[in-house]
Amino acid sequence: MAKKRVTKTAKKTVKKTVKKTVKKTVKQPAKKRAATQDSKRRGPRSASERVAGLLVLLPWLMKRKRVRLAEVAKQFRMSEADLVADLQMAAVCGVPPYTPDALIDVFIDDGWVVAEIPTFFSRPLRLTSAEMYAIVAMVRAAQKLPGAPSRSVLTQAVVKLARLAPDATDAPLHIDLPDAPYLEELRTAENDLAELRIEYFNPARSEVAQRTIRVMRIFSDHGHWYVMADDDKSGTIRNFRVDRIQSLVRTGKIYNQADVASRINDDDDRGWFGDNLELVTLRVRDDAAWIAEAYPTVSRTHNRDGSTDVSLRITSEHWLARLLLRGGRNVAVLTPEKYVSLAARTAKAVRSKYD
Amino acid sequence: MGSPVVKKTEKINAAERMLNLLALLSARSQPITLKQIRAELLNQYSEDNEAARAQFERDKSDLRKLGIPIDMLTLGGAQAGETAYRVNRNNYELTDMGFTDEELRALQVAAATVRLGAQEGEQALWKLGAERVNPKLGPRASIGFSDPHLGTILDAISKRAAVTFIYKGETRSVDAYGMLARKGFWYVVGFDHLRKAQRVFRVDRIESGVSVGKAKSYTMPKNLDIVKAVPTDRQMMAAGDYEHPTAQVRIDASLVHIVTSDFGAGAIVRSEPDGAAIFEIPCSNGYAFRLWLFAMVDKAEVVAPDDVRELAMRWLDELAAGV
Repeated sequence: MAKKRVTKTAKKTVKKTVKKTVKKTVKQPAKKRAATQDSKRRGPRSASERVAGLLVLLPWLMKRKRVRLAEVAKQFRMSEADLVADLQMAAVCGVPPYTPDALIDVFIDDGWVVAEIPTFFSRPLRLTSAEMYAIVAMVRAAQKLPGAPSRSVLTQAVVKLARLAPDATDAPLHIDLPDAPYLEELRTAENDLAELRIEYFNPARSEVAQRTIRVMRIFSDHGHWYVMADDDKSGTIRNFRVDRIQSLVRTGKIYNQADVASRINDDDDRGWFGDNLELVTLRVRDDAAWIAEAYPTVSRTHNRDGSTDVSLRITSEHWLARLLLRGGRNVAVLTPEKYVSLAARTAKAVRSKYD
Repeated sequence: MGSPVVKKTEKINAAERMLNLLALLSARSQPITLKQIRAELLNQYSEDNEAARAQFERDKSDLRKLGIPIDMLTLGGAQAGETAYRVNRNNYELTDMGFTDEELRALQVAAATVRLGAQEGEQALWKLGAERVNPKLGPRASIGFSDPHLGTILDAISKRAAVTFIYKGETRSVDAYGMLARKGFWYVVGFDHLRKAQRVFRVDRIESGVSVGKAKSYTMPKNLDIVKAVPTDRQMMAAGDYEHPTAQVRIDASLVHIVTSDFGAGAIVRSEPDGAAIFEIPCSNGYAFRLWLFAMVDKAEVVAPDDVRELAMRWLDELAAGV
């Protein structure tokens, strides 16, 4: 009886509190609003998308019972307005006669999403085969990461997943992560907040230079390990390719984690590389087509003659020269004009070594 | 009792109707007809029979696409010939996996440290009751799992069903044995019926959809090492028919470290006083050799044999002349 009263009371507050929250969201300063909207794509969501989202969201909420609205929006990469709209809709769904105890029990109370009584949709949907493979791929890659914690615990988790889909968990799906020297040293330096002095080959300048770095993140992408670090030489955050580090020692200085942590945003969908670099457009064809596949591109346009126009960001003129030399006659610079003759100039310079 | 708290008389959106339909079909112990559904979901479907049927079929199809099986039964007796619908929650709900908190935390960390570039990983995590977290420390990897062919091919492998697709302009039918993620790309290794031999295909180069054949149509070879079956860049340089299998290349001191880590100290023919070194490098595959050589721009120079040195000079001359 008491339970029912709680439900009814809660229901009465649904529309009022939801409306309040919507108002609050709209009134947010532009900056905050942009932050909460996260990376969610724009445009109206289809009915099917909304239902699919709710069938994942509702059991997740019911397991937790009370979660801050802002946290839920961030977790599910939704704007607060979309989230409130979906919860508002869910709160009036259920079965006839649509009395409080026949409705989905979810409401918003002063910035909290409350889903304490599992009426409907308290269990999640089964994993699709794509989701199962994704999680298996994720676990297998994670188990190969240097210093990965809980390898045995992950294995136990996969054993439990195998009860659902033994074929998927046994899938011959292999992850080949690259090797690189100094990975372990970098990892422990990150852990110990130890400043490092490295000798680094800079392909952009084709020289080896000493740098003092503070490790912010270590990551592998497209077959190479990188360390994102605060670099004393440039005074900026830079990505260093780990296999280009020629020596590494600790300086003995310990840095404050908050200093570096505040400078990176972990919760974004952008790549791990910056976007403030010079943009070039290349026309690639035939055996230089790999250029369009090997590097992150801003745009790709396929032409009728089989060539592809690729826009990508470059780190330096030297880096572009190297790319053009490798691509040979099947790559040409379209823009900017200053790089149109770069391939020929570079080839001449390299050729002079053979004289 | 009896009078509904929420009268569904206002125009209702399709998402709300779908949720109500699913709740209704899941809650009823007996299958119900569309007529009964419309009576229960008062005013939620169109009053026009044809339009209501179209709306219902769309809802049903969308729910099925979400992984919710809707059983259809043809009734007898007084309702003979009518179709009734039922949803058994046990057929679409995830059973309690019994994950410990420690296991869920480990999955969360795994998800946070491995970037898939696809939403399936997060979806799976949420369904398992875990959440997206941001570990502050530790190495992370990006392996890319967004190609829709991946799930199809993996499914086919698990069923031992051949896959057919267009690759380099030809239709290939492949008994797929396994998949490998390397350097940002996914490869599928399998027996290619066109070439009648084992071949490797890069998944992002598949030029068509992937169709899946009959299950249990082949057996897996024993002791196949999928990782070794996909040639590395270094192996690619040795896989060709150029008359010279290797070339000696002078590497500038600044790059000796990197080339040694790629080819091993055994590839060094001799070291020079300025720190440079001469390496013996495979060059049977001229294309792969060129890519490797010019990646070092002016820090690498072919010194022998003369034929390979002249070839490198010719490549440079052509490019310098803007040919």
